[in-house]
Formats: sequence, structure tokens, C-alpha cells
Amino acid sequence: MKLIKLVINKLYQISSKGKLSKFKPVIDAIDGFFFGTDKTTTSAPHVLDNIDIKRYMSTVIIALIPATIASIYFYGFRVILIILVSYIFGGIVEVMFAVVRKKEIHEGFLVTGLIFPLLLPPTVPLWVVAVGIIFGVFFGKEVFGGTGRNIFNPALVGRLFITVCFPAIMTTQWQQPFLKGFGGFLKYTSDAITSATPLISWKTQNVITPYLDLLIGKTAGSIGETFRLGIILGGLFLIWTKVANWRIPFSYILSVFIFSAVGHTFLPQKIAPPLFQLLSGGVLFGAFFMATDPVTTPFTKTGKWIAGIMLGFLTVLIRSFSGYVEGVMFSIVLMNAFSPLIDSLVLSVKYKPIPQR
Amino acid sequence: MITKYKTFKGGYRFKNFEGQPEDKLIELDIPQKVIIPLKQGFGTEVPPIVKPNDKVKAGQIIARDDNSVSTPIHSSVNGTVEEIKRINYFNQEINCVIIKSDKTTDIQLLDGYTLGKKKVPVEKLEELLYLSGVTSLDKEGIPTRFKSSIIPPQEVESIIVRGIGSEPYNLSLSVLLSGKKIFNFIYGLRVLNAVMPNAKIYLALNRYNKKLIEELYKLTAEYRFVEICPLEPKYPQEYDEVLVPTILGKKFPYGYSAANLGVVVLSIQTVLHVYDAVAEGKPLIERIVALCGSGFKENIHLKVRIGSPVEFIVKDRLLDNTRLVLNSILTGVTLNNFSLPIDRTCSQLIAIKENNKSEFLAFLRPGLKKDSYTRTFLGSVFPNVKKIFDTNIHGEKRPCIFCNYCEEVCPVNIIPHLLHKYVVNNIIGIHLIKYGIFNCIECGLCDYVCPSKIQIMESIKQGREKLISSGWDRSLYIEPYFNLKGLEEYRGGIKKL
Repeated sequence: MKLIKLVINKLYQISSKGKLSKFKPVIDAIDGFFFGTDKTTTSAPHVLDNIDIKRYMSTVIIALIPATIASIYFYGFRVILIILVSYIFGGIVEVMFAVVRKKEIHEGFLVTGLIFPLLLPPTVPLWVVAVGIIFGVFFGKEVFGGTGRNIFNPALVGRLFITVCFPAIMTTQWQQPFLKGFGGFLKYTSDAITSATPLISWKTQNVITPYLDLLIGKTAGSIGETFRLGIILGGLFLIWTKVANWRIPFSYILSVFIFSAVGHTFLPQKIAPPLFQLLSGGVLFGAFFMATDPVTTPFTKTGKWIAGIMLGFLTVLIRSFSGYVEGVMFSIVLMNAFSPLIDSLVLSVKYKPIPQR
Repeated sequence: MITKYKTFKGGYRFKNFEGQPEDKLIELDIPQKVIIPLKQGFGTEVPPIVKPNDKVKAGQIIARDDNSVSTPIHSSVNGTVEEIKRINYFNQEINCVIIKSDKTTDIQLLDGYTLGKKKVPVEKLEELLYLSGVTSLDKEGIPTRFKSSIIPPQEVESIIVRGIGSEPYNLSLSVLLSGKKIFNFIYGLRVLNAVMPNAKIYLALNRYNKKLIEELYKLTAEYRFVEICPLEPKYPQEYDEVLVPTILGKKFPYGYSAANLGVVVLSIQTVLHVYDAVAEGKPLIERIVALCGSGFKENIHLKVRIGSPVEFIVKDRLLDNTRLVLNSILTGVTLNNFSLPIDRTCSQLIAIKENNKSEFLAFLRPGLKKDSYTRTFLGSVFPNVKKIFDTNIHGEKRPCIFCNYCEEVCPVNIIPHLLHKYVVNNIIGIHLIKYGIFNCIECGLCDYVCPSKIQIMESIKQGREKLISSGWDRSLYIEPYFNLKGLEEYRGGIKKL
């Protein structure tokens, strides 16, 4: 601990003059990471809550741990490499912007850097990971002004970009998960490639994968989305800690259920049954970890309900009637674009106009 | 009568903090010198009627003005007036009478008080209350025919006595109402009923304090004008702006006072002072003050003379490197100048540790003793472990991430982060009034819960000032919608405390 303090002080000394002074945000971030703040309140209220953005974001990461560990077990420790690439290249963009703008480095990136790789297919080449995260952080977040000002979820922007650019890589090759013994903990990657995820099997042959397999992740899919039991636990943990608001996940899942139940009764060939819809693809991951991103979703309570219902409707719609098999990503990005509108509508209904002078 | 327990939307319950005052009451000596501000509690500043070198007695009225909305002020010690000068007392220049005491303990009883007289006419009761100084207590005072509040006593429809204890640190009710004092309290309620016969009295109590609720229920069962309201002890339940809507179901004219609605809100200590004045003829020269917070060596209650300098009260009791705050840890002012006195309104002195040390990997600690609105710390799983308060801001300033905690805790149903964003971007206009900027009661809860450590309350205050300075008048949006009482007096230059 004293050693770290010493190193940081030394770094401050070195960076205090010359060209290196640009990197002060980086050292500030390191200092903040290890030692927190020494500031005190100056006026009332004299005491403040212990929560800070670091703790807030770390809680999201803790909630993602079950899904992450399961993904390493299923797909080998190449997953760790993918996560590292995502953190490193995303981090470089974040730091570059902090240095150019002379602003502090924000912690929101810690979550983006982990969520993004979990959205990718396990066979994804590492350079595609780098391209995706760089694009996502750059155009999804930084160009809007950084944390708190972005309109779209940066991880999804990155994922959307590479899906559109490299459709063959992103949609056709899926890896069969390891299921026996130590699984992927001792293996780099697997050669067992399949072209079918549960959603593809439904779309092409109307085959429904057993629900238990879907729940524990015995199927192919994106890296982090298949261990649905862990995702549900992590999501409930997030809601319990109040880091994520319950309204969007609840209304999202509810509306996927209702819309697909209604749709399945009328168009059983086109629209999959409700439980299958919920347990396949990225609905759970999206509902608990991406639609709950507070920055890009509506902040009003009613707005959250509206967004959740809209998400469910769009997901079922895209899955059933479009060329894509999965619609979670598109529906969340679409909803992100609408959330300022939803908020201002809700506000104008909630707060009555007052008479002019 | 007991009603079903009630609560309000928003708020936050502060649970189990280190440094709660024990049920121990110590009577403090008489200080060598007292400084008596001539404006204490509700009312305008009153002119002194003593001169330097006059001999005064404890309980003698040293300042009064029967023409303005005010209440007399007494000397709290026997001694000689040393000087009368203006002192900056919490951002207000106020005339103060400085009295050197001779350390004798006898008290001069009130004029017109006759011992042991059973039936006292209402007029006499009001006079006793007025002369004792009790009528200036709490936000809007107790109405009497002597212009001690903004409305006459007949217009009072409800009296709310608050004893919820929703602040992180509260005066202990078991000290205030120990032993026979609970009967004094009932006596006080009866006096209030005699003075304000049209008013129903609501006792707002902590719903978890079952013993007290039951005891008071038994004692007040025969009085039909008393109703007991158990409430959830969420902060800021004790604010008038929150109490009145919760108990009476009325909309509150934010920015005005409960008295404008015909409601008088009093604390339990005030009702006990009512008893002292009427039944014992004692002027209001003593208060019970709780020493709260881990910055004190001992957390106890003290009975002190009004006007005692703070240094006299806290000497030898305060630890090093602490911050002393008056009355409320969330909204109170910092006491830097210990030579200032305490006045009639003081009920708590809170001392917490100044913590300007950084903690190694603070955000990864389990946090057994850390309090948080979220459940991200272990402390929320173990509510029995006492939490610690210090002045550290526990995190770096960051941009708002719309986590909505401030909206969830806001007791007056506004969206603080939205107002903050408009104000910092200097977009000032009617939309701020629409979004309820004038509803803010400055409870400070949004600042407390913010994970980005933004000073939201400060922005809201600034936005309000900017609105007012650019010509917006909040009364236009309140007065047409409410049937408010005592407005003329309100407009007559009385500033809200």
C-alpha cells in the first residue's frame, strides 16, 4: 500500500512538468482507484452516502461474474483473451479522450468493457473484438461527450457495427459448449462448430430446444448469454442492491411473454411460444444488463414502463418477421433513440403547464 | 384514538448510527456569561428594555415589543448587563444582550402566575404563554391574542405534535417524557386545547415506539381532541411540508407555512415548556440539548441555560478533529465560532469526525459500518451493526448518470437531477416552476444519496434565486389555489427562518 502511494507520488512528480502533464487524468484515475478521495463536505448536508460511481459500476461487474465464469467454462479460456482485448482497446480510447479533453477518466467504461465481449459469438476473431469496442466507445459514447451524455449503449453500438460489417463472422459460426469435467477451464478453445443456435433452429425448422438446456446453457450462443440461471441471479442481485431499477427488466420480460403468447396462438408457425422466447437468445441478458443502463434509458418511472413494453414488442416483432433471428440488440438500440422522446412526453403529462403571467 | 400508520412517498430511513444520545440527563452549571440574541425562534427582533449595568434576574423580560409579531425574551441568569451589541448570529446581524452572571440559581417566576390555582381563564393562559416566551418556539410559533404567530388562535384547525425522530440523530423521547413528565405533557396538551379550542391535536409518533404509543393512548383516551398518528420514521417526515400532507391529507403551499393552512406544528419539548409556563410559572430560560455523534466523548442530554456559549457546553466533551453542527446533520449550520450562544430553538448539537484521509481501495471494502441508500454495502445486510458518519464525500465527483436515486427519495415529488441540469446549463424559465423548483424543501436528501456526489440542492437554490431575480414570483402559482390564512402578516416583513 505504501509502495503504491510512493509510485503514484513519483508519477505525479514526473508528470507535473513538460509534455507528460497531459497524462494527469490517467494518474488521477490510478490514484482514485487505489486511494479514493480525501475531500470533505463543505456545506449541508454534512454527511454523504458511501456509494460512489466506482462502487456502483463494480456492483454491475459482480453481478456479471456468474455469467462470465460460466462462459469460460463453456467456451475455453480464449474468452479471457477476448475480455482482455476489449478492456485494453476500449481503455485506450477512453484514456485518449480523457487526455485530449483534459477531463477525468470515468468508471462507466469498466462495465462496457465487460458487457461487450459477452455479447459476441465465441468464435469471434480478436481483431474484430478490437474494432468493435473501439467503434463502440468512440461513436457510442465519447463523441456525445462521454459518460452520462451518450444516447446509445456503447457496447451495443459496437456490437451492432460489427454485426453489420462482418455478418459471416457474427452470425454463422457458433461454438458448441464444453459440458464435461473441467470444461473450458483447461482448454483454449473448441473446434466443435455448429451453425445452429436455438433461435436459428426455431426459425429454420421450428424446433424447440428443451427449456432446462436453455436455462443452464447447454446450447450454442453468444459468450455471456447462455448461462441464463447465472444471468437471472445476477440480475436479481442488481435489482436487490438498487443499482438497476426493476421497472424495465420486469416490463420487458412481461411484454415479451404477453406479445409472444398472443402471437403464438394466432401464428404458431411464425412466433415462438413465450417461455422459449424468454429463455433463448439475449432477452434475459438484455433485460437485466443492457436495458437497465440508466444513462440510455428513460429516467422517468412511467417512461421505464413504456420503454420495457416497447422493447418486448420490438423483440418479438424482429425475431418473428425479419431476416435476423435475434432482435434484442436492435430493439434496445431503437429504444435508446426514443428514450428522450419518451421522457419528454411523460414529463409533459406528469407536470401540468402552469398559467403564464 | 389511534389511526392506522401513515407514511409518504420517498424519503429515507436513517437507521442505527453510532453516537445516539443515551437516556441520561445532566444539568449543566450556570455559565459565567450569557449572550442572549434578541431574535429567537419565530418572530421579529425585539428591542431591548434594559441598559448596560442594569441588574437583571433570571426570568426577567429584557426585550419585548407588543406591537410586532414577536414574543418577549428573558435573561437566563441573575447578574448584570454588560453590553448590548450586534453580533453575526448564523448569517444574521442580531442585537445581543451580554449578561455577566452571579451564578445564583434562583429564577423569577412569571408575572401573574399564582401558585396552585385550579381554574385559569383562557386569557390568562395565553398571557402566561406569551410572557414565558414559549409562543416563539418552532417554525411559526403558538398563536395567542398577543400576536405571537401569524394567525389568531381561533383560526387554528389542527395542532400536530411531532415526536417521530426521523433525523439520523434525535433527542431521546424517553428522556423528555420520563417518569412524571409524561403527565406534564398531557397537561400541556390540555392547555393548548384550551387556548385553541377549535383545533384537533395530532400526536405524530414513531410507529416502532410501541410502548410510548400505548402509554399515550391510555393517558389520552378520555380526550376526544387528541388523535395518535403512528408514522414511519423516514427522513424528512418531521418537516411541516411533509407532516401536514401525511397526517391531514392536505396539499401544502410550498414556500408558505403550515400556519397559513391553519395548522400549528409543535415539538414535544415545546409542549413540555407550555406546561412549565402555565403550571409552574417558569419562563423559558432552559432547554434540553442532546449531544449526538461520535465526535463527543459521551453522548448524553444536557439541561442548559439559553444563551450559554457553545464552548461552555462542549468543553471537555468534544474530541479532536471534529465538526460541530447545529440541530441537523443534513441541513444544520457548521459551528465554527464556539463563542456564539445557543438559543431557544437549539435541541441537538451534533459532532462528527472530520475525515480527510483517503481510504485504500475504499470502493472494494465490504463496508460493514457504511451506510448507503443502495444495498451495495454489507451494512445493509447487517442492520444491527452501528454505522459511522464522517465528513468524507466517499467518492469522486462525476457527471449525472440518471440513476434516479434523487427522484426516488425526494419527499415532495420533484425530479432533482432534471432541475440540476437545467440550472447548471443556465436554462432558466417557466419550465423550472412547472417541474416544481419552488416545491423543494431543502431537506438535502438528494445530495446525500447521489453516487456522483453532485450538489443538487445547491443548484436548486441557485435556480430559485435566478428565477426570483429575473422577476418570477412564486406567490402567483400558490395563492390562487389555496385558501391561505394570515397572508398579510406573512407579507409584512416576517422572514421565514
